[in-house]
Amino acid sequence: MDLSWRRVGWAVLPIVVTAAVLVILPSVWFGDSPYTTSLAVQAMVFASYGVGFNLIFGSTNQLFLCVGALAGVGGYGAAILVNETSLPMAAGLVVGTASAALVGGLLSWIAVRRSLGIIFTGIVTLVFSLAFANLLLGQRDLTGAENGLVVEGVPDRLADDHVGGYYLFVGLLIGFLVVFRALQLSHAGWAFRALRDDEVAAELAGVNVARYRIYAATIGSAMIGLTGALLAFSTGFISPATYSFDRVDVRVLVFVAFGGLGTLLGPVIGASVFAILDQQLTTSFEKREVLYGVFIIAIFLGFRRGVVYAVLKLWRRLVPTRRVGDATR
Amino acid sequence: MTAVILDGIVLGLAFGLLGVGMTLVYGLGGVLNLAYGQIVVLAAIVAMIVIDDGRATLVAAVLGVLAAAGVAVVLDLTLMRPVYRERGEERTLLGLLLTLGAAFVIGGVLSWRYPDGALYIYIGGDPVSILGVPMTRGSIWASVIALAVGALLLLFFGATTFGRGVRSVIQDEVGARLVGINPSFVRTVIFALSGALAGIVAMTNAMVGPLGVNAGFELTTFALIVTVVGGLGSVAGAFLAGVLLGVVNSLSAHYIGQYITTIILLGAAALTILIRPRGLLGR
Repeated sequence: MDLSWRRVGWAVLPIVVTAAVLVILPSVWFGDSPYTTSLAVQAMVFASYGVGFNLIFGSTNQLFLCVGALAGVGGYGAAILVNETSLPMAAGLVVGTASAALVGGLLSWIAVRRSLGIIFTGIVTLVFSLAFANLLLGQRDLTGAENGLVVEGVPDRLADDHVGGYYLFVGLLIGFLVVFRALQLSHAGWAFRALRDDEVAAELAGVNVARYRIYAATIGSAMIGLTGALLAFSTGFISPATYSFDRVDVRVLVFVAFGGLGTLLGPVIGASVFAILDQQLTTSFEKREVLYGVFIIAIFLGFRRGVVYAVLKLWRRLVPTRRVGDATR
Repeated sequence: MTAVILDGIVLGLAFGLLGVGMTLVYGLGGVLNLAYGQIVVLAAIVAMIVIDDGRATLVAAVLGVLAAAGVAVVLDLTLMRPVYRERGEERTLLGLLLTLGAAFVIGGVLSWRYPDGALYIYIGGDPVSILGVPMTRGSIWASVIALAVGALLLLFFGATTFGRGVRSVIQDEVGARLVGINPSFVRTVIFALSGALAGIVAMTNAMVGPLGVNAGFELTTFALIVTVVGGLGSVAGAFLAGVLLGVVNSLSAHYIGQYITTIILLGAAALTILIRPRGLLGR
């Protein structure tokens, strides 16, 4: 594979632009409002979940309906470890991330071994999500059940309504985007594209489909777990609702699909649009739910392949000579 | 012990009835209707409004069932059209997402307009003793209706020409078209049937206990579990799985505890997929 510098430059450009925009955003827009800052932090958290989910579902076609549960494994794992022992925050982050990676890898291993299709993978992981939520409620002594868990030992300037907290998650997101792009450009990216287009053909061409699926699920779950763990420390309080299926998974699935499955910037664009939508729709919870449903239907009836594809298509029509390589989608 | 098992069977028949509506639609067109629980709630709320209006309970129940069937038909004629243009997993995925959207819309409107809405159909009379266990009349009626509906469905699919036509579409869409069956019409009818079944679920559940406006998501989850365990597209499988899960549910809730019970039910669904993806009685 020829990795000329020019190509790497083109591939990294979107990440640099995104980073620049996200970094200057607080000073030109919301830096002085704690409320808006916490909304922006939420958008970054969701975008980070989205990159992990995109790696699992967008790149290797494994419908993981357990993003919230994986983030919860990371978050609760880290919080319980730090609260019960006197280990530092970093240890909590490492353990939380590793547990989420292990669980995600295991789920993927099961799905691959039993060759479950998209739908059955979805149902098994959904079942895992619901079981995890019940476990949180049942283990009252450790998790505090519905009352939640106070997470201690967080420096105040990294809290989720401070600009410091915002930059923390921007850094995390940019890190994830770099990993995502590096994977796309590597041998793994080639394998991902092959197995997503046609699994059987990929297998015949010598791609070890099972192995790459498990890789993608493990890395993606680690991203989701790390985000969940950092969120726990940043907000200083977690409860089952923080990581529940209807708050996390439904949203992630919808905005990643809105942004464009398998694309680099899809999750970032999707999460930002939905954050702005949330800010506009601060009326009642039920009304928001209705509008949300209408929005979901409109998205999937209208532009199925996401905003990024729509823009790229327009771009290709306007600039016909420049062929945007498949690797940089 | 007998009481616990009888309770389990009552619950199981309710599970079975709940699963049938979802399994039929999935078997027919590969669409997992995630708005199913919300349609059940819709029927309950419609019945509640009619009862509050001073009408007889029976009238309210019939109107509730009709409303549910009507909404199902509307879904089929609008949202499901583009879904059926797709094939295979694309179709299932798009169906999943669009019905999820519909679930949000229906559930959101209902809990917005009727935040405290709930349906409870009280059936008077003393408890009846069955095998020495006193059972409320409401749960007996609910079980009898569930059994009757199950029997009617089996008769419909086994003995009528239209029912056989439906089964032919389940087996082979192209083949069915070749012998002159219109799959699109069959799907609309089955969607309506599924909606009516959701309506009946609302009524039988309300006979056993109050059915609240926010029960939609939980109902959909249970329907999904029953559908998966019973075998996608199988009427008898849904009832068999429902009764099995119902008995397991009450035994474990009685002897172990409620949180573990839900995990056991979910585990049963996961295990079924892993060991026997076709389900108990699936093709």
